[in-house]
Formats: sequence, C-alpha cells, structure tokens
Amino acid sequence: MASATGIGKHMRQETPAGTSAPAGSAPAAGSGAASRVLDVQHIEKVYGSRNNITRALADVSFSVRKGEFVGIMGSSGSGKSTLLNCISTIDSVTSGTVLINGVNVTAFRPSRLTRFRREQLGFIFQDSNLLDTLTARENIALPLTISRVPARDTLARVEDTAQRLGITEVLDKYPYQMSGGQQQRVAAARAMVTNPALIMADEPTGALDSKNARLLLECLEAMNTSYQATVLMVTHDAFAASYTHRVLFLRDGRVFTELNRGAAPRQEFFNRIMEVVAVMGGEGSDAL
Amino acid sequence: MLCKIAWHNVRRAGRDYLVYLITLTLAVTVFYAFNTISVQVDIAGVSEQNAGMGDLLGSIISGLTVFLALVMGFLMVYANNFIMKRRKKEFGLYQVLGMGRGQVARIMALETLFVSLGALALGLVLGIGLSQLMVFFTASLFKTQIADFRFFVSPSALFVTVGCLAAIFFVTLVFNLRVVSRARIVDLMSASRKNETVKTRSTLVSALIFIVGAAAIGIAYARLLDQGLPYDGTPEGMREFFITTLTVVAGTILFFFGLSGFLLRALQAVRGLYWRGLNMVTLRQLAAKVNTVSFSMAVIAMILFLAITSVTTGMSLADTMNNTVERGTPVDYTRCLVYWSADVVDEMSAEVQAQEAHDAGAPSDAEAVADRSDASRYAVADAPVDMMEAGEKDTVEPDTPEAHPFDLASITGSYVQVDAFDSTPRGADRPLVDLAALCDAVDMPLPAGTENSDMTMLGLMVITESNYNEYLKFRGMDPVDLGENGYTITSDMGATVNDIYNKVLGEGVELTIGGRALRPVQDRVPEDASTFQNAMMGMNSGTIVLPDDLVTKLDLPPYYSYLLVNYAEDVSVEKGDAYINAYRTYGDVTNAEGASIAGWGQEATRTTTYESVDSMNGLISYLAIYIGFVLVVACAAILTIQQLSGVADAGKNYRILSELGTPATTIAHSVLAQQTVFFLFPLAMGVAHSAVALKVIIELVSLFGGLSIGGTVGLTCVIFVVAYGGYFCVTYLMSKGMVRDAIRVRHTL
Repeated sequence: MASATGIGKHMRQETPAGTSAPAGSAPAAGSGAASRVLDVQHIEKVYGSRNNITRALADVSFSVRKGEFVGIMGSSGSGKSTLLNCISTIDSVTSGTVLINGVNVTAFRPSRLTRFRREQLGFIFQDSNLLDTLTARENIALPLTISRVPARDTLARVEDTAQRLGITEVLDKYPYQMSGGQQQRVAAARAMVTNPALIMADEPTGALDSKNARLLLECLEAMNTSYQATVLMVTHDAFAASYTHRVLFLRDGRVFTELNRGAAPRQEFFNRIMEVVAVMGGEGSDAL
Repeated sequence: MLCKIAWHNVRRAGRDYLVYLITLTLAVTVFYAFNTISVQVDIAGVSEQNAGMGDLLGSIISGLTVFLALVMGFLMVYANNFIMKRRKKEFGLYQVLGMGRGQVARIMALETLFVSLGALALGLVLGIGLSQLMVFFTASLFKTQIADFRFFVSPSALFVTVGCLAAIFFVTLVFNLRVVSRARIVDLMSASRKNETVKTRSTLVSALIFIVGAAAIGIAYARLLDQGLPYDGTPEGMREFFITTLTVVAGTILFFFGLSGFLLRALQAVRGLYWRGLNMVTLRQLAAKVNTVSFSMAVIAMILFLAITSVTTGMSLADTMNNTVERGTPVDYTRCLVYWSADVVDEMSAEVQAQEAHDAGAPSDAEAVADRSDASRYAVADAPVDMMEAGEKDTVEPDTPEAHPFDLASITGSYVQVDAFDSTPRGADRPLVDLAALCDAVDMPLPAGTENSDMTMLGLMVITESNYNEYLKFRGMDPVDLGENGYTITSDMGATVNDIYNKVLGEGVELTIGGRALRPVQDRVPEDASTFQNAMMGMNSGTIVLPDDLVTKLDLPPYYSYLLVNYAEDVSVEKGDAYINAYRTYGDVTNAEGASIAGWGQEATRTTTYESVDSMNGLISYLAIYIGFVLVVACAAILTIQQLSGVADAGKNYRILSELGTPATTIAHSVLAQQTVFFLFPLAMGVAHSAVALKVIIELVSLFGGLSIGGTVGLTCVIFVVAYGGYFCVTYLMSKGMVRDAIRVRHTL
C-alpha cells in the first residue's frame, strides 16, 4: 500500500489506518453520527482456514452521510464485492463494526438482520434480479408486500415510484418483455420503493449498453438529488463513477485512496477518476 | 476412471438421485414382498382347500408385477430426465474437455447402474423384512393361525424382482443414451439458461378454460349419475358411456390447464390478499409451473381416480361378503339338488342318442348299450326326491378298502328339506310370476343388471306354504299362515330387487295365479328367513310362497331341492366337517324307471363358506393394496420430481426474495403452499371422480347385498395416505433444503 506517494493534486491522502472521516468537512462527532447513514469501522474479512488465508478486506474504514452518492471502485479481487456484501449484511465480517443509521448491524441475530435488510436497505444488482414470474408492478411491490404494507398504500407507492423513474408504461409487463435498461430501472424502483436508509447498487450498469447505462445513472442521480436517497454504488466503470459525489478506490482489500467531486462538473470528475485508475493500473499488476 | 467419475457424481448429485433411489427401492421392496405371496400362504397355514387361492394370487401378482414394472419403468425414465436436465451442462462440459460421447454415455450408464444396484440391495433387504411381517397380515386376512413361523427367502420372487429391475434399468439406460447421443454440445452448455424461460398466458383465457373444464366435469358427473354404467353392453349404452368418459377426461385436463390462471384471477380480485406477503409470488410461481405440469397433474388425477375406485370397490366387495356371510350361512351344512328341466332333458337325451349311434359299432360296449337303450336315461322329475335317502348313494373314499356309503344321518341332529318349484307349469312356456311383471305392478323400473337374470327370464321359484313353515320351524321362527288366498315372497339378495319385492308386498299387490287372486300376507320380505343354502352372498333371488293346494293344482316341475343340516349334539363341527369333506363320489339321482332326474349341486359347510369368504377377501385385499400402492407411489414420485425440479429452477427467485429481506420461514411457507396445491388438487380431483363413480358402482353392486365402505378400506386409505403424504413430506423437506442452499449462495461479481 503506497498511499503516501502523492498521486495527483486533486487527491486526498489517507493513511491505511486513517479514520473514515470524509473530506475536510468532517463534522463534530455528536452531530456527525446523526447525519451519517453508514459508518464502516476497521472491518476485516478473512476467508479460508489456518493454512490458506485470504484477506479479502483489511481494516477498511469510511462513512457515508445522508443524501450522499458514493462510488466504490477497484479491480476484480480488490474486495469491493465483499465490502458490499458485508455492509448489506449478506455476509458477516471477521472483525470491525458496520453502523447503519448509528445501529451496529454486525451484532444482529440472523432473524433481525433479515428484517433490518428489508426495512433499511435497497439493492440493485448487475443483472436486474427481478422475479421472472412477476410483472414489473409486482416486482416493485414485493418489498412492500413482504413488509405487509396495506394493499392500497403498496399500489400507490409503486405507481409513484414508477412515475419518478419513467417506467409506468412497463408496469404490467414481465421481465422478459422488457429491455435490459427497463429491467434495471424497475430494479431501481424496487430498491427505493421502501424509502430505505441506504441504496446499494452492485455494478448496476455492468450489463447495460451505454445509452441504457446513462439512463439508469441519471435515474440514480435524480433519486439522489430530488429525494435525498443515499446511494452506495460499486462499479469498475469510470463513467458510472463520475455520476457520484465521491469515489473510494479499493485495492487488495484496503482503501487505496478517495476522490471528492466537490463542485466540479461531471466531465472534469471523470478525468480525475481516469487519472487515478491509470495510476492504480500502472502500479498494480491488475488492469482495471 | 469413468467408474470413479460416475461414483463421485452419484454421491455429489445425491439429492437429485435420492427420489430416484427411494422410488426404485420402494418398487423393489413391494415387488419382492408381494411376489412371495404363495410362500406366505404356505407359512400362514392356510388350509389345503384355500391354498389354491394362494397359488392363484401368486400367479396374478407376478403378472401384475410385469405391468407395474412397466409403469415404474416409465416413471424412472421421467425421473431420469429430470436428473439429465439438471446436468446437461455437466455432460456438455465433459465433451468440451474432450471426452467422447461413448465415454459420457458410459458414465451415465455406470451412474444408473450404481443407483439401481443400491436400490436393489436396499429394496431386497426391506422386501425380505416386509415379507416376514406380511405373513402375519396374510394369516389375519385368511383368518388362520401361523403354524410354524420361519424365516424365508423366495427364489422365485427374487427372480421376478431382479428381472423387473433389470428391465427398468435397461429402459432407463436406452433413454439416457438417446439424450446423450442426440444432444449437441452447444445445447448442452446453454441448457441451464434455456430452462428458465417463463411462458405466461392470459389469465382471463386460463380462467375461461378452467370454467369450461369444471363445467365439462360437472356434465360428465351428471351424465354418469343419470345413465349409470353400461352393464348391459348395448351399443347405445357403450357410446353414451364413452362420451361421458371422454368428457370427464377432457374436463380434467382443461381444469388443470386453467387452474392457476383461475386462482390468479380470482385472488387478484381480492386485493388485500393478493398484495400481501408472498401470496402473489406463490400464485405466480404456481401459474408459471402449471403451464408445464398441468397435463401430468390431470393424468395423475385420473390414475389416482382409478386406484381409489378399484381399491375401494374391491375392498368393499370383500367387506360386503364378510358382513353377509353370517346371514348367508344359517346351518352347519347345506346341499343342493338341481332337477333337470324339460329343455335340459331333451338336449341331454339327444346327445346320448347320438353317442349311442356312434358307439353301436363297438362290440365291447354292445352289451352295456343294449342294457340301457330301452330306458330314456334323462327325465323330468315328477316330484322332489328325499335328499337324505338319495345321498346314501354317494360313496365315501371309493376304490379303497374303507369305501362306504355316505351316511349323512349319522352326523345329523336336525334337518329340513326345502323343495322349490319352477314357476313355469309343465307344458307352459311362460312363468306365472316374473320380476318384470312385479316391477310393472308397482311402477318401478327393472333394476340395472337384472334384464337377463333368472328372476326375469325364468320367473320366481315357488315353494309350498307347508314346506316353508317346516323350514321356519327348523330355523326356530314363527310360521306364516297364507290362508286360502295368501302369498309372500322370500329373497336374500341386496336392496335392488328387495326394494321391489318390499313394495309389492307393502302395497298389497294382487297376483292372479292359476285363476286364483292372491294377496300378500306379509308387508316386507323376511330376509332372515330366506336363505336356503350356505353361501358367501345371497343366492335366493326371489321365491314366492303359495298355498299347498294351489301348488299341487298348478302342476309345477321341481326346480331345486335344498337340504339344510345341523350336526347332532355329540358331533363336533370338526368331526362333522371332516366327514363331509372326505373324498366321495356322487351317486345318481334316478326315478323309478332308473332315468336320471337331477344332479347334485353346490354343497357347503359353514366352515368352508367362511374360509372361502376369507380367502376371497384375502385375494381382493392383496390385489387392491398392491395395485393401489404402486400406482399411488408412482403418482407421488412424479409429483415429487416435478416439484423438486420446479424448486431448483426457481432457486434464483428465492435467493432474490431472501436478499430483499424475506424471512426464510416466509419463503418456506410459500414453497409449502405451492406444493400443497400440486399434491392436493390432483388428489381432490381423483377423490371427487371416485366418489361419483363409486356411487354408480355401489348401485350396481348392491344387487348382491348392501355394499359398505369401511373397515379394511379405512386401513388401505391409511396406507395410501402415508405413502402419498410421505412423498409430500420428503418433497417439502428436500425443497426446504434446496431453498436454503439457494439462499446461502451469495451474490458475487
């Protein structure tokens, strides 16, 4: 880990064990905790047995404030999926804590985790992961019906969310009758219909062509700006990452560096991301 | 090497193979256990006379086994297709890695062989165990005591079982090899994606199909209840029945085809229910699945219907015999004499003359022929003969030094002879009283199945008042008084004909016989005083009792004579039975001129009647359980395989649900609900079909005595429910495991 070597003028440097406080604007501890949706503290994930240890995550710390749109980048094997799985409570951490809305989810029992996941988190995956037997409307409604929201509210909320994402015309179609982009937007609608504390997107544009990818990213951006949705997006696509406010770069299970967009236009942020990608690609053995 | 891969595969794909293994093991167990029946009968100590029943049962069962093995064979092909479907990609991979098709086929064959051998070994152990237990069951069915219980293995049953399994194995193998040899690598490799395409149909169309199907079933039910079974075999009857059958089959198929769409449509109308929990997922999952399995659900419903109907009918018949046997065996021993009718005499005489003409040339017989030729050797009897006396011409143990005349009097305590006359007077060609006329008199239709029966064609039998009163006195019952112009009717048949007789008596129908108007003196048939011979079921289909002088005046020829005997007090049942059952030849029954006038008919002791009932019961119960069990297991196995395949296909969906935060128990409930629909609907349909069919069958069968459903049928139901329910539970537990595994697989990039 060579974070001490300056990479570019736009970069904020962090020591590997550094605190997770974001940009210089880190608020005081008390009020900060309230506005922090996600607080990852020194988490570590080790796979394998005594003789064959794989350290997927090594002492990763960072936090996400409410209404932030954060990207996580890294090559394959860098640990970004593991990180997302740990945060989303699908996988357990070896050590460290994950606080979501100030609640330590690593200490939850499985049954509580399920409920927590249902109520506080929204997911968007690379392949839309829609239930192929349900219509778009039913797919979007699913998280609500699982939580036993009354039918009237459910249908109203589905309609509302679909309108925001511009997918009302596909509501009564089955996944196989929709384009990949439409499927992904339906998945996005499903992720946000419950108004979750945190929406996690795992390579959401990975399977889309550039036009559909742009549409989806604009969707996420719109969700983020107009509805204050907090989004955490894992991607290896610099273009996708350029829609975010802040990008964390992961390498070998550690936070390699972090990039803040600030008030910069998207194109400029994209260039800065590309610079980091180039440096990481040049130094490391893995190409991004 | 191939062997190693195959062995590894079987162990790894253990769960896929489990259903296959269980079903095959069950088949082997049942095949073996039931094929040992003749050995069991032996050990259970079934009497000599009924041992023949065991042999008969044995041969029927081995024939059936071949048929059932065929059913099982196709089931196994189906099960195997399921396994193959799941593993197409794997087989494609072997080929991509450079394995020849022959080698892949060999791996397949070896895998099938391992599983078959496993099933054979396991099944034989269970089968041998089960057959030891079944000896006790056999003993109780045949109502015998086990004389000397010993451990046994039947080589012939072993042979049949191994043969059937080998046949199943080869059928499966051929189908497997075909799959492997036909498949192109590219198809094999992309098989897993292709399987997931979901077809959907308009729910409105589905719902309409469902309604049409349900209506067709309703119409078929109505037709069957209205028209009954085509027992008489007339072309119109058969055609109508065929149409009904076709309607119900088509209706069943349409019903299942539209079922999910209908359920979906109906429940969508109830918003609060549909948009709650996983209800919509459950319904949609069902809808997606029903598209592909609706046909097999319909077939299963029909098979279950056949199994339930045949088992219930068979067992109920057995039960009926059990219930009526007590009334049907009033005394220790009965014997029956059949008098030759005028027609028979003519026919036999003509035959004898022809034979004589033929034999005339043979010098050795010339003397004998000359001796008899002047007398007609067959004649119509003038009056009934004394059966006690006639019986003395029988010879016990002939051709042995102990040969002696049959001395029935030596064991008899009390006896009575009942002489029944033909109701067609000498020289007349129409009976005086027949069923059709009685039906007309009370305005009732001729009951189903009696159009060509004795009571319609030959008319009712006739006995005299004094003879009937002798019988009643012998039975310890009060005599009847017909007076000048009275009559009554006896019959121990079922309600079908007795309802008519009861109505005739109840309404006081006036009969004119021999120019005399007669009125009934009783208002219903004395069923308990109508049995003239020991038998499993009612034999007296209608006998009218008339005043003595009228019978004399009518000049009726004798028809039957019955001798009813109770053993003397110092003669035990065993001793009496032994005397009667000893081998003997029957003497001729002749008139004064030496012409034959009658032949000995059925004779039965109370003991042999009970034994026949028991062994008949045993026979029917065995066949019913055997067929029913195998069919039910086959149906359940198909459902299980379909369900597991469905769960495997939907594994991804369950994982998504889990990631969305659905508790595992909720997902399990959804799976359970789906499986319940799949298992319950065909069963419910089968039961509904059976209920209607049984109602019609019972009507027909009640001719021979009331048909009751209960007792053994209950036990059989328990066995079937355990088998069907067992598969249901296995399916649920396995699906739960599969869902758990699907959920555990983490979403990776």
